[in-house]
Amino acid sequence: MFSYYFKLGLRSLRRNPALTALMVLTLAIGVAASVSTLTILHMMSGDPIPHKSDRLFVPIFDVAPADNYNPGEKLRENQVSYLDVMNLLKSGQGVRRTGLYGIAAPIEPPRKDLPAFSAQGVAPTRDFFAMFDVPFLRGQAWSVQDDERGADVVVLSRDIAEKLFGEANPVGQRINVMGFPFTIVGVTDKWTPQPRYYKLVGGEQFGKGEEFFIPLASAIRHETTHNGGMNCSERSDPGFQGTLRSNCTWLQFWFETASSGERAQLQSYIDNYASEQRKLGRMKRAAPNKLFNVTEWMEEREVVGKDTKLSAWLAFGFLLLCLVNTIGLLLAKFSVRAAEVGIRRALGASRREIFRQFLIESAVVGLAGGVLGLVLAFGALALIAMQSSEVAVVAHMDLTMLAFTFAMSVFAAVLAGLLPTWRACQVTPAIQLKSQ
Amino acid sequence: MEIRPILSALLRNKTGAILVALQVALSLAILANALHIVSERRHAAARPSGVADEQSVFSVSVRNLSSGGPEQQLATQKREAEVMRAVPGVVAVANVNQIPLSQSGWNNSVAVDRKQVDETAPSSFYFSPDSLVKVWGLKLVEGRDFLPSEYMDIDANTNVTPRHVIVTKALAEKMWPGVPATGKNMYFGTGEDAIEVRVVGVVERLQTQSAQVTARGEYSSIAPMRMYGGYPGALYTIRAEPGQRERVIRDVEAALRKASPTPVILESTTLDKHRADRYRADLALSWMLVTVSVLLLLITASGIVGMASLWVTQRRKQIGVRRALGARRADILRYFVTENFMITSAGVFGGVLLGVALNQLLVSKLEMARLPLGYLAGGSLVFWMLGVIAVYGPAWRAASTSPALATRSA
Amino acid sequence: MLRMTNLSKVYRTHMIETHALRGFEIQVNKGEFVTVTGPSGSGKTSFLNIAGLLEEFTSGEYVLDGVNVKGMNDDARSRLRNEKLGFIFQGFNLIPDLSLFDNVDVPLRYRGFNAAERKERIEDALAKVGLASRMKHFPAELSGGQQQRVAIARALAGSPKLLLADEPTGNLDTQMARGVMELLEEINAAGTTILMVTHDPELAVRTTRNVHIIDGQVSDLVRKGPTLAAVGSNAAGATVA
Repeated sequence: MFSYYFKLGLRSLRRNPALTALMVLTLAIGVAASVSTLTILHMMSGDPIPHKSDRLFVPIFDVAPADNYNPGEKLRENQVSYLDVMNLLKSGQGVRRTGLYGIAAPIEPPRKDLPAFSAQGVAPTRDFFAMFDVPFLRGQAWSVQDDERGADVVVLSRDIAEKLFGEANPVGQRINVMGFPFTIVGVTDKWTPQPRYYKLVGGEQFGKGEEFFIPLASAIRHETTHNGGMNCSERSDPGFQGTLRSNCTWLQFWFETASSGERAQLQSYIDNYASEQRKLGRMKRAAPNKLFNVTEWMEEREVVGKDTKLSAWLAFGFLLLCLVNTIGLLLAKFSVRAAEVGIRRALGASRREIFRQFLIESAVVGLAGGVLGLVLAFGALALIAMQSSEVAVVAHMDLTMLAFTFAMSVFAAVLAGLLPTWRACQVTPAIQLKSQ
Repeated sequence: MEIRPILSALLRNKTGAILVALQVALSLAILANALHIVSERRHAAARPSGVADEQSVFSVSVRNLSSGGPEQQLATQKREAEVMRAVPGVVAVANVNQIPLSQSGWNNSVAVDRKQVDETAPSSFYFSPDSLVKVWGLKLVEGRDFLPSEYMDIDANTNVTPRHVIVTKALAEKMWPGVPATGKNMYFGTGEDAIEVRVVGVVERLQTQSAQVTARGEYSSIAPMRMYGGYPGALYTIRAEPGQRERVIRDVEAALRKASPTPVILESTTLDKHRADRYRADLALSWMLVTVSVLLLLITASGIVGMASLWVTQRRKQIGVRRALGARRADILRYFVTENFMITSAGVFGGVLLGVALNQLLVSKLEMARLPLGYLAGGSLVFWMLGVIAVYGPAWRAASTSPALATRSA
Repeated sequence: MLRMTNLSKVYRTHMIETHALRGFEIQVNKGEFVTVTGPSGSGKTSFLNIAGLLEEFTSGEYVLDGVNVKGMNDDARSRLRNEKLGFIFQGFNLIPDLSLFDNVDVPLRYRGFNAAERKERIEDALAKVGLASRMKHFPAELSGGQQQRVAIARALAGSPKLLLADEPTGNLDTQMARGVMELLEEINAAGTTILMVTHDPELAVRTTRNVHIIDGQVSDLVRKGPTLAAVGSNAAGATVA
């Protein structure tokens, strides 16, 4: 019966092309609008590291002075200070830890025909690569000793390595970074997590990946200025060394625990740490010390911006309108078929059969709307992606969203068809037949 | 006007009417809010930055590969500025720490009294050893620009702080409402460590680097200083002769490269590009909202036309009877227009309520602005008109029904 | 009351011409109760439509209550229809979503009476047909006979000069049909001219005058006493006892 009704549905669509076109178009537009905004939402809020996101944690302390503290005010810090990074690295908490900050450095290619250029990278400690599952194409992360003494070693991204060395293996070679010779110890494969969850403060949250990595100690040794944000809640001593000693926050820190269950333990550790620091005259506010896992951190940093949320809500309101419109059109379409229903009922169709027939017909409309809606959604996403390269990364349909488009379109059409279908079932055969 | 019978008949046959009214309500609610947001974003993007003739201004960031010690860096910066000034077509050059609308830069808390606990306002912090008033064409409304003696070159490794400041009018109003700011003391930060500076002048406008849409976007202070010895590079803002910007950019870059003994990495950005980048997302959102609004109107119109057509078809016999009983064409037309007007009105009423509710949601959850009633009023008018226009076609068809239909068998 | 002279009605569809009425002549005087009979396709519906100003005719002349309808535009005809005529249809043709009160109200609204006048007329009309107590009810709640009586009330409410009835008893059982006929006879006795199309010979017999239409032409039979004498174009050989 299903294929029979399906064929009937298709035939019925053909019978009144104008009405069909209007219905399918309206549904398609509604579906396209919702799907394109949902896709962007989905890409933006998708868990970038699902197998680990609940056991990677960011600690944030309120290091501002106590005198202008209003308890309960929103935490203004979004990074940690150098002092805290050093202390937490030594803490041994969790299975791994890393502290990092973003830097921009000029790189001088060994080839004389290429000019020097400014590259954007990050200076983490060694555990970074394992913690965030950074894939290596060649070589590996620097050694523990290099990490501790801040050796002049560098890991390049695949793109930069290709730009400087072509297809050759650059491991072991030297290039000038920030004017100093650095030895290349590894090349990472393509690694562009969206968003750049490990370093959400300072710089774009979506976009291209890091171009190079040097040890944190190395960047500090070279007094490399941060390429990100810094928040100083009180006056600090001048110069780079003064910044290191201060309560200015300009680095980001991550713990990795063995399981998500160890969160409570980690929380009590940082609470203890904070009270100890209080005894040393820091963290006088005694404000709550925060711990964020990956998804919480993304929410705290508002990765899904307000405008994206607005677009998503709007799209749904729009879909709702299209749905109500489709109900009206289906009502019109079915109501003129009262005679057909009367005859079918007289010939033995039960109410349930009529219901099934017309619901499937609605689903056929939904399928057609889904196909057109998908095409329109692709177009819409392409238009949206034109905005900037940052947006182009997330304005990208994946297989999940593709399947979702069809599902949503059919579901919407069936939902819209419920009332008209129910109405169609109420037709009394006798009346219809008499007035023939 | 047969309002009561029309209403009574409508109430007996609610479904179609409710569907149309619902569409009008949804559309109105969304349309009013959407157009309001479009207007807000457009207004925000149209705000002047305070920089005169923005198209002639660009910035160059210079990164030297071997910078030497602080003193050498200072000499390099001074030299670079001179090299750029010598390029034909350059009107003025200033070494500066940040550019308005560039979305990257410094902020400071400012206070009126060092004994305050909380800041008076957050301010964007510009500093330059050259006259920003001159390069950016800022308009002084009070006091004066800095004197040559007031400019300082500060080694980042020392504790020296500036002593003078120029603020924007908005910031001056916030700090000292209703009184002139010139001569007053201002503090960066609060408490004992706060840095005291004296206001020497007030400029009409200079937006912050983030150009926030709130009042904060206009709170800026300028200090007459250069910081050197920290970051091995510098940022310069340059005004070119009108119409010559592109050529001047090329020439300035060439001159800088030529004049430097060691390799330099240069990156030039026009102020226009900063502006475009700052408002790109807002304008994209505006376009999307406009598109959605147009679609809303089209879809609602199609819904009205569809439902009215259906009713005309379903009530053919009835219309014939009415005509037989003496209704003129105009009477039938009026019947349908009145009926449609009632439905649209119900929809408008619902739409106003829904629109306010939607706005309330946007305000509380997404920190958007309150919807002025004018949008709902205007939107209501639009939908009333839309209803009349949409129903006219089917109503005209209905009116052309022959009264002879009444005597035909069912 | 009503006079048609040399009336023709031609339908043109694509290339085919159909003559529904040709050289039609008839005169109906005030106070008469005329039945119109004829086989299907004879043109009696066209005659009724034209008489009721529901359709235009191709050629000839039609004078209704002293008014020559030739060249009248749609608005004028609608007004004339509204003021002078009352209609009763085979299928009752009540508007299902309106109460009985509102149904009778419909032609009065187009007349432009004020609310008080309308109310009075509606109540009188419904009382006359014996359904005043059910004013607020809806057509679906009534039997066929009752619905037809409401339709009659609707036709009467505007005090028409001429009542046109198209097979008013066609959808009713014998008892209801008799009731409706009695009502019509009462109305006629009170002074309203009635023109009734029917194919029920029993009803045709009850009236003093019967117009028989065949092939678009009229055969007029007048009953004077127990016999009907033929008058009119098809008179030859048409005598009905």
